[in-house]
Amino acid sequence: MRDIFFDLSVRSVRLNFLRSILASIGIVIGVVAISSMGMLGANMQLSVKQQLSSDVNTIMISSDVVRTTSTAGVPATSQGIDKSTLNDITNAAGQNQVIPIHRTNTQFTIGSTDGRGSIYGLNPNDITKFLTIAQGENLKGGDDALVGPNIASNFNMNIGSRIKIGQNNVSVTRPSVRVVGILAARGFASDGINTDNAIIVPDTWYTDHYGDKDVYDQVNVILQNIDTINQTEAAIDDKVNRRTEVVRISDASSRLSSISSTLGTITTFILAIGSISLVVAAVSIFNVMMMSVNERIQEIGILLSIGTEKSEVRRMFLYEAFILGIIGAGVGGIASLVIGYSVVSAMIGNTTYFFLPESILYVPYGMIIGVVVCVVSGLYPAWRASNMDPIDALRNE
Amino acid sequence: MDQTPLIRLADVSKVYHLESGDFTALNHVTLDIAENEFVAIMGPSGSGKSTMMNQLGILDVPSSGKLFIDGKDIAKITPLERTHMRRDVIGYIFQKFYLIPLLSAYENVEYPLILKYKKRDTTGKAAAVLKSVGFDEEMSSHRPNQLSGGQQQRVAIARALVNEPKILLCDEPTGNLDRKTGFQIMDILTGLHKEGKTVILVTHDPKIAEYAHRTIELEDGRVVPT
Ligand SMILES: Nc1ncnc2c1ncn2[C@@H]1O[C@H](COP(=O)(O)OP(=O)(O)O)[C@@H](O)[C@H]1O
Ligand SMILES: [Mg+2]
Repeated sequence: MRDIFFDLSVRSVRLNFLRSILASIGIVIGVVAISSMGMLGANMQLSVKQQLSSDVNTIMISSDVVRTTSTAGVPATSQGIDKSTLNDITNAAGQNQVIPIHRTNTQFTIGSTDGRGSIYGLNPNDITKFLTIAQGENLKGGDDALVGPNIASNFNMNIGSRIKIGQNNVSVTRPSVRVVGILAARGFASDGINTDNAIIVPDTWYTDHYGDKDVYDQVNVILQNIDTINQTEAAIDDKVNRRTEVVRISDASSRLSSISSTLGTITTFILAIGSISLVVAAVSIFNVMMMSVNERIQEIGILLSIGTEKSEVRRMFLYEAFILGIIGAGVGGIASLVIGYSVVSAMIGNTTYFFLPESILYVPYGMIIGVVVCVVSGLYPAWRASNMDPIDALRNE
Repeated sequence: MDQTPLIRLADVSKVYHLESGDFTALNHVTLDIAENEFVAIMGPSGSGKSTMMNQLGILDVPSSGKLFIDGKDIAKITPLERTHMRRDVIGYIFQKFYLIPLLSAYENVEYPLILKYKKRDTTGKAAAVLKSVGFDEEMSSHRPNQLSGGQQQRVAIARALVNEPKILLCDEPTGNLDRKTGFQIMDILTGLHKEGKTVILVTHDPKIAEYAHRTIELEDGRVVPT
């Protein structure tokens, strides 16, 4: 059986329907802001995580110094990972694939256009272990080269194109490579090998032109079983860094967690911006509740004078705030689904994760917060109503 | 041993603190009202009649002196106990009816039952009391603003009666009604007195005061000796 104070609240809301609806719009906006921003953040995190976790089974080993040279033929001066260290790594890695990597940045020229990008030197046999060739074929050796999809489309590279490597300088004849294949897009790769804007050449070509034979910039260990990541890292660390810290050992999982924590911070921040709209909504609910109390002073006087308890008067007004909250949260919840879906598909371009709990739960969260904000906004008006002097209240016309 | 009457005012004063100074609306009033009395309170406007009714209705507490109602010292009980006494011991009937505008006639009468028993009435008591004051059953679902003054006052009386209070306080109950309707209301109150209620009635009208068995005259907040 329904509470008479609830009935009174419903009737009061109905009596002031337009005003109540207008106040609820604030809550609708607040709920939509919180839910859709939350969902946006969640979908962003989920899709980034998905992209990153595809090669999360890789341990990256690098010397702490970033090695760059600008000109072909000039060897990098900083230390890399030498042959004996590589042997230690290979021993420690056991069954897992060990991939030594040469890398530097370079200028290049195709036709008459100059460009800049990364150049990787890899053993041709290693390439297919972690890279996908979308077009053409793998390196065979010599001056074969693979190019990333971005560099290929930006510089109009095709199979058979020749690229001159090194600084464009009339007095120097530069070596050139021939494109034999184009790689599939990798995006932001969590194994540290970002090939979308890179040229990949055989390790032999690389060391012929950059020197650095048997000195590597990075060594990746691709695990057969992701669960062995910690023990493999420990084994490598034990072998290689026995006396001094020779190399830095990292894996994508730590990078992944640091990126998701950054994204989490961003989500919190945009949620905080969304909450500002709820503050505005709270003010409008407070305002409408105060109007309701002030218009019903005599009625409150009647209720109190015939023996209604203060807590019952408070309850009546809190119900009213609650009803406004339910209306706002209900409409806001539905609107959040529609608007959230549009925002996610417009800004992330991918709605695969929209209906996952991590994302969709922001709708009920937003709704609950909306209702709570309403009830909290009604606390003071309800308290005021319940503490009126019945004689004064009755006299009020 | 002296038995305390149903209502006892012992040297009761009510002082309003105004910017222009203190104003004594009730001035050392001493008065006993026994169970099942029918008392009329008369006096010119501003003489303190409503102030006295507010004391008897436990809407207010005396500034000084002692007020006992149904054996309880009103100054010594908690605010919640005062609220419960208003609900259970006193039925208040106002000049302006003061029905709850958002409730139907029936719900207005059911309301005190809900306050007391914390649930909707299923005993049919509210309907029975409405019938006993001569209220047209077909109007039960009407809101107060759809009812005439006489009908509203019947609903108000039914509301005051429904929790079977010992005391009925009527502050100019006929003041907003035409003469004929006023006398009908007075007939209802007379009947309730015969059933054993203690009725206290404020009025300007000597014809109305004739219904009572005892008249108390107030002037400037004092009881005029008879
Ligand atoms: N809340 C109040 N504050 C100040 N003065 C009041 C208040 N209530 C009543 N009074 C004053 O007390 C006097 C008695 O009022 P009241 O009891 O209403 O008189 P009556 O009902 O006999 O006309 C009046 O002069 C009135 O102005
Ligand atoms: Mg008066």
